[in-house]
Amino acid sequence: MKFDTIIIGGGLSGMTAGITLARAGQRVAVFSTGQSALQFSSGSMELLGQLDGQNVERPTEAYDSLPAGHPYRRIGKAKWLDLLGRVQPMLSEAGINTIGDSSRNRWRLTPLGKLKPAWLTLDDFATFTSPGKLPWRSVALVNITDFIDFYPQFLAPTLERRGVKCRQESVTIPRLEKLRQSSTEMRAPTVARLLDDDAIRQIAGRLNVIARDVDALIMPAVVGLRDDHQLTLLRRLIVKPVYFVTTMSASVPGIRIQMQLDAYFKKLGGTLFPGDTIVRAEMCGDRIQAVYSVNHGDEPLEAENYVLASGSFFGNGLVALTDRIVEPVFGLDVDAPGARAEWYKPDLYDAQPFMSYGVRSDDSFRPSASGKTILNLYAVGSILGGCNPIKEGCGAGVAMLTAMAAADRILE
Amino acid sequence: MLTKGKEYDVIIIGGGATGAGTARDCALRGLSVLLVERYDFTAGATGRNHGLLHSGARYAVTDRESATECIKENMILRRVARHCVEETGGLFITLPEDDLGYQKLFVESCEAAGIRAEVIDPELARRLEPSVNPTLTGAVKVPDGAIDPFRLTTANVVDATMHGADVLTYHEVTGLIRNGDRIQGVCLTDVRTGARSEARGRLVINAGGIWGAGIAAKAGVTVNMFPAKGSLLIFGHRINNLVINRCRKPANADILVPGDTICLIGTTSDRVPYDQIDHMTVTPEEVDILMSEGAKLAPSLAHTRILRAYAGVRPLVTSDDDPSGRSISRGIVCLDHATRDGLEGFITITGGKLMTYRLMAEWATDLAMRKLGESDPGCVTADKPLPGSEPAEVKKEKKRLKGWNRRKSHVIELSTEQLAAEGRHGTMSRKIDTRDAASEALVCECEQVSVGEVNYAIDELHVHNLLNLRRRTRLGMGTCQGQLCACRGAGLLAKAGACADAALADLGWFINERWKGMSPVAWGETIKEVQLMSWLYEGVGGLTEGRRQKMDAMADKGEQDAEPAAKTEEKE
Repeated sequence: MKFDTIIIGGGLSGMTAGITLARAGQRVAVFSTGQSALQFSSGSMELLGQLDGQNVERPTEAYDSLPAGHPYRRIGKAKWLDLLGRVQPMLSEAGINTIGDSSRNRWRLTPLGKLKPAWLTLDDFATFTSPGKLPWRSVALVNITDFIDFYPQFLAPTLERRGVKCRQESVTIPRLEKLRQSSTEMRAPTVARLLDDDAIRQIAGRLNVIARDVDALIMPAVVGLRDDHQLTLLRRLIVKPVYFVTTMSASVPGIRIQMQLDAYFKKLGGTLFPGDTIVRAEMCGDRIQAVYSVNHGDEPLEAENYVLASGSFFGNGLVALTDRIVEPVFGLDVDAPGARAEWYKPDLYDAQPFMSYGVRSDDSFRPSASGKTILNLYAVGSILGGCNPIKEGCGAGVAMLTAMAAADRILE
Repeated sequence: MLTKGKEYDVIIIGGGATGAGTARDCALRGLSVLLVERYDFTAGATGRNHGLLHSGARYAVTDRESATECIKENMILRRVARHCVEETGGLFITLPEDDLGYQKLFVESCEAAGIRAEVIDPELARRLEPSVNPTLTGAVKVPDGAIDPFRLTTANVVDATMHGADVLTYHEVTGLIRNGDRIQGVCLTDVRTGARSEARGRLVINAGGIWGAGIAAKAGVTVNMFPAKGSLLIFGHRINNLVINRCRKPANADILVPGDTICLIGTTSDRVPYDQIDHMTVTPEEVDILMSEGAKLAPSLAHTRILRAYAGVRPLVTSDDDPSGRSISRGIVCLDHATRDGLEGFITITGGKLMTYRLMAEWATDLAMRKLGESDPGCVTADKPLPGSEPAEVKKEKKRLKGWNRRKSHVIELSTEQLAAEGRHGTMSRKIDTRDAASEALVCECEQVSVGEVNYAIDELHVHNLLNLRRRTRLGMGTCQGQLCACRGAGLLAKAGACADAALADLGWFINERWKGMSPVAWGETIKEVQLMSWLYEGVGGLTEGRRQKMDAMADKGEQDAEPAAKTEEKE
């Protein structure tokens, strides 16, 4: 099989690269092993949330304070600013409607009742322009009856401290009652699967009663697994605004974002190979000749260019052995010490060194193997290293912006 | 709770198996009892060992007395603590690098100690235990097994309280009340709030394990302890069904014990300075030794995922200078400080092993009865089953099960989580609410812990935080190490009355504590899990902010300071 570009990894980064290239007319294939970090999305995408332990209010202004090896710095400021403007339109073309802008972070309400800086947030999620002042006098925290992955007990104190009166309510409908009989089924994606138009109409009646004397409803993100059809319906039927908070286990908004990106990519003519893993490459000098996958066996998968968007450890982009960290597909050079005692710190909440490990790459994000740059391979997203997505709140930004930057290089 | 102004017959210091067992024995013999523990039950060596139901064979050659005690207690615990015991059996294998000649001495020593030891053909050993190193040259079958120290201790505490004992966790003994040459009680500090109080008793029993040396010092007497650190690894799968030991003189990493869904390799043995016993960490070198030696017992360990590493400190009593502590007797030491040091009202029970906790409790209680001059009805703990291990009454059982599953009339068998709860709590599991879907909802998928079980533990088993909950129910002990269930547990604790900020601070700490056991083995799947865990709790949940806030009194501040000994962790 031959393509213009083959992308290894179908998470936020891989799909962004795929969409950017396919939209420019390339024949693109994405090979995706399975779950990505998107499955655990908060409903927000972060550009730059913290720097040196301090919350960042204005990400674009904080750019110059970033360390030199940070992927954003390596993109270059002018290019970075240019790419920033392209993200929201791309998402909205995929049907993912967000609010927020890169000059000023909003504040997201987390499932544990904390407030965190956020860049772009799904437009039906609870975010605020300031962490101190909230736009409501009273809200109802509405759970699905006996759904244990939503914590009104943690959300209420945060809201109440900011002067918002909270009422805790729960709703259910017959089909959810039936689901409840099985002890393992009451999870966000399963609930979302059951909440079709009919179910939404049933629930809406009950929600409208609750909504009578409050300014807004806050609910667990268990609506809209595939697209925002049910969300739109719910909002149309409810007399007051409804806001969602993500759940800590598998994230419905994350799954939705993934499905919408996948669908958009396919609509643009891209080819998606879900559940297939690229395992090895055939080199010709400094270039990759072909790659091989589990499902395609010995059939060479050829392309002009390749994009490695396989993620960090969680995505299997990096693999930690007992005495070294490797990149398993191409055997790329990895920037990480050999002694595993140096990989981590005893306090989980310290900046963990292993979180910033990645493959060594040149200014165009082309990685090297045994010191030699591979000329038609681009690394994008968290496998690049050089930043700590958790400490800096920059995971989604790095994923999308490096993917766009690499795609632009390929298109040049 | 402490009964204000009451003079107890005995105050027992230490919530490990020995302290809990002594509290039970004393309460059963009619004494009024206060049991005090600095942190949580099983926080010390009781919760940081192999969970091995020793046959005594390991000590048969080198320590006859301990071996004899072990086999006797082994047989007793099978009867009285059946819900804590798994009768797996065990093998002592000889590898090509070992001297097969040792086997003869080993078997003779076992027989002399009363331990049934049967030499079997290596081929039979391979069939009985397919995971065993196939190159073995000899094998002996012994009555080893597995025992859950958390369940065992909890059951003792439950029975002690059922017989009138008062129990205080999170209270440290900061001093002893001394009047001339007599101890009359203890000074207590609530480690969570800093509040001070006193409790008076006619007799104080020091069952503080390795920390007992410090408690004795507070009473002005000296007990020489030899702190011997032992590190272990927990694997994510149960690869063996029989306990596998090396048939040689006890050395590093030569016991592989199955337990629940996991297995454990251990231990190392190194003397540590007494002032370091609260700060045990497992070093990369120890991990490497445990892995390489473990793979000699069962080669598939080399590619089995390691869940975590932990270390405990053995409370050995010594006077000599053995650097490893392996040659010190594991025998029981029961000291009457009146005859030994001229100090009345104070006894120390130490040495021994998890296996002999009941016998230690018996000795300590015998001595207590004599010293108090009470008429002694005699010890019944060798015959009276622990709560949870009572014989099942078949008729009643059937009726109960019928009621249990009335809601699901199509279900004939118990659900997985009901079976899991029954496994953990034995007959006590009938107290767990299973009447509706809300209580049956699963909190911990790995270990099948339901909302009902969590609420039962919160109501009845002295649970104040997630760590307590884990030790009582196994919540967070499975392959995901609390990733999905910890926040659910925190949510339930907050629902049960903990203040939200305290519950969140506790959650942040619990996750960190999980990490401390994972970090020494953070490669492969484990580093992936940690990355996801950080992403969920800090990235999505925003827990860093919680950590930075000043913890309030309810948030187990004391535990945070001291249990980072949980850099190590415990048997799971």
